[in-house]
Amino acid sequence: MNRLLYVQGVPFWRNVVVLRWAVQIVSAVLVIAVIAGFFGNVSREIAARDIPFGYGFLDREAQIPIGESIIGYHPSDSFAYGLLVAALNTVKASVLGVILATLLGIVVGVSRLSPNWLLNRIALVYIEVFRNIPLLVQLLFWFLIVLSLPTVREGYVAFDAFYLSNSGVNLPWPVPQDGFWPWALITVIGIVVAVVVARRLNSRETETGKPSYPILTGLAIAIGVGVIALLILGPMTIDVPSPEGRFGRLQGGAELSGSFTALLVGLVMYTSSFIAEIVRAGIQSVSKGQTEAARSVGMSGILTLRHVTFPQSLRVIIPPTISQYLNLTKNSSLAAAIGYPDLVSVASTMTQTAPAISLILVVMLTYLAMSLTYSLIGNLYNRAIRFKGT
Amino acid sequence: MRWKLGLILMMAAIFVVAVAACGEDAEEMVEEEPMVSRLATVQERGHVICASRNDVPGYGSLDANGRNVGFDIDLCRAVAAAVLGDAEAIEIVLITAAERGPTIQSGDVDLLVRTVTWTTSRDAGWGNYIHTTFYDGQGFMVSKDLGVSSAYELAGASVCVTSGTTTELNMADFFRQNNLEYNPIVFEDTDVVLDAYQEGQCDVFTNDRSQLAALRSALPNPGDHVILPETISEEPLGPVVPHGDEQWFDLVKTVIAGIIYAEAYGVNSGNVAAMAAGDNVKVKRLLGTEGSFGQETLGLRETFMQDVINSVGNYGEIYNRNLGPEGIDLPREGGRNALWANAPCTDCPKGGQIYAPPLR
Repeated sequence: MNRLLYVQGVPFWRNVVVLRWAVQIVSAVLVIAVIAGFFGNVSREIAARDIPFGYGFLDREAQIPIGESIIGYHPSDSFAYGLLVAALNTVKASVLGVILATLLGIVVGVSRLSPNWLLNRIALVYIEVFRNIPLLVQLLFWFLIVLSLPTVREGYVAFDAFYLSNSGVNLPWPVPQDGFWPWALITVIGIVVAVVVARRLNSRETETGKPSYPILTGLAIAIGVGVIALLILGPMTIDVPSPEGRFGRLQGGAELSGSFTALLVGLVMYTSSFIAEIVRAGIQSVSKGQTEAARSVGMSGILTLRHVTFPQSLRVIIPPTISQYLNLTKNSSLAAAIGYPDLVSVASTMTQTAPAISLILVVMLTYLAMSLTYSLIGNLYNRAIRFKGT
Repeated sequence: MRWKLGLILMMAAIFVVAVAACGEDAEEMVEEEPMVSRLATVQERGHVICASRNDVPGYGSLDANGRNVGFDIDLCRAVAAAVLGDAEAIEIVLITAAERGPTIQSGDVDLLVRTVTWTTSRDAGWGNYIHTTFYDGQGFMVSKDLGVSSAYELAGASVCVTSGTTTELNMADFFRQNNLEYNPIVFEDTDVVLDAYQEGQCDVFTNDRSQLAALRSALPNPGDHVILPETISEEPLGPVVPHGDEQWFDLVKTVIAGIIYAEAYGVNSGNVAAMAAGDNVKVKRLLGTEGSFGQETLGLRETFMQDVINSVGNYGEIYNRNLGPEGIDLPREGGRNALWANAPCTDCPKGGQIYAPPLR
């Protein structure tokens, strides 16, 4: 008995190993109890209130309207397909938003540190305005701006091909023809060759000090190959939008709908103001000695930023920027307020004829998957650029 | 060795907790929770909670003093007057169209009165539908200068609609059935739909006809907009109560039947006392001065209909105040929302569909 309670002369209540395990066990028990309690409660309430639940509906015809789709949609398509259409709409807003917000955020963040007083102040005002107004208010504001444009029948037209109205922006857009895939293949080969050549030239420049213009040469090769193949194969025709019918709605080309435009502008403005602050913090985190050293070897301000401070600041910038990407993706769910058929908006329409709880779970998992994908990409990139031990 | 022991201990603990949690669930599932009736809950709380709206004149909106008014709101008041004797003892929870299902499913409100169309799947999934208190149908509103005269000419149009409504689904059915290309734009709030329609982002606004009429009357130039003749759906509107309390379900049904019979018998907010003292047996039964029609079983006072009619009025008064001449002026006589007949005269039908089970 004594042996069980006293390990190597130490009573078990003072044994570090036992204590450590005890803490682990207690926290595990608590976590599991909370989760079990939660699920128990949900399943009990579902049963008690006869709330429908299940996934049999996914194969049924959705029979709901969805206004925009990248991959085409008809009400006779299934619920599962409808959810896919809606998820892709969210992905579209998220990916475009992330790209534009990053570019704008970097520009504003760098401007915020500019010695140019005016630029600096403009960046400051931009950040403080867009960072401090609730996103939903901003979205409704941009949507009202879009609505105040003339209607599609009285909208602005340039060259009979570019249209701007409160229904959105319509542009000519290429449509792939027979020769598209050969052309794509040739272009990809051209790009690969261009990258290889650019690398060669770059290392020659580093070794010999002779200016070899790697980027210019690479671009010339890639674009040259692509354009020549384009002219020979004719893989695409340009589809020009034109007004159709009594209502003058535009058919053909590519459309950024009014709701999507308002959503994109709102998300980009809002998120870029946060990214700008992250970029500023990142650049300022680089030791001042680095800048001074760069300047003392004769690099200009821009060159210092490009080659010395910005690359080093990336390690500070990337992790919080990834969480801004996640925020942007999740914030895109406010789209329902301004009429863009994103995942949440379409799922809420579906709750009329399909179980709401099942749909909410699908929506949650989809956002989780998107967020984890962004995190994964971000972490991989972060790992690639971190300081390598020497 | 020691860490293995710890691991085993932890696994054992997890297992015990998991089993305990499941066992607990199973026990509670079997054991009936002591049922507190909704009526008792409402009486103890002192007010009736109704989910409704404040953005459509006639059904639910705010008057100049910020008071909730409208046809749907008055039905809520009628239930409050019946149960608590005070038509003002109501709390209005504002919800969007898409929130109606989850709200009534949760049972957090006593009554859902928010222009809810009665459909079979909603009746099965959401809550219990009481009675049709207004017969509506879906229509389309367009700007007059587009020169459209029929819904079948809407090919190529951009159509705005509120999300989570039967209108949204009927619209999809209509355009699909008739092979008309269109561009749906779905908004969460009726206000935003109206903005988008007014600014011409959408050419067409689709909703229940009566709501279109109500919203058109609030536009700057109502004459510039026309409601197309086609009615593409049946939209019977009425109150809904949560599943699971049959006494409450029957009680609200009886209140609605009461206001319909009050109109049929000619009892209104101005003559309740006189009618209660009169000699018409049916009227006296309605007003609780003679006989009974189930008040005791439902847990209501014998004279609850006197309170209801004194404070809210009969069906016709509620209609006139909100949807009729004093409200958004929807025609009633000769239409579906007229009474079936003026009782006790049974062979002089008025031809409407507003009808209720006899009060006996």
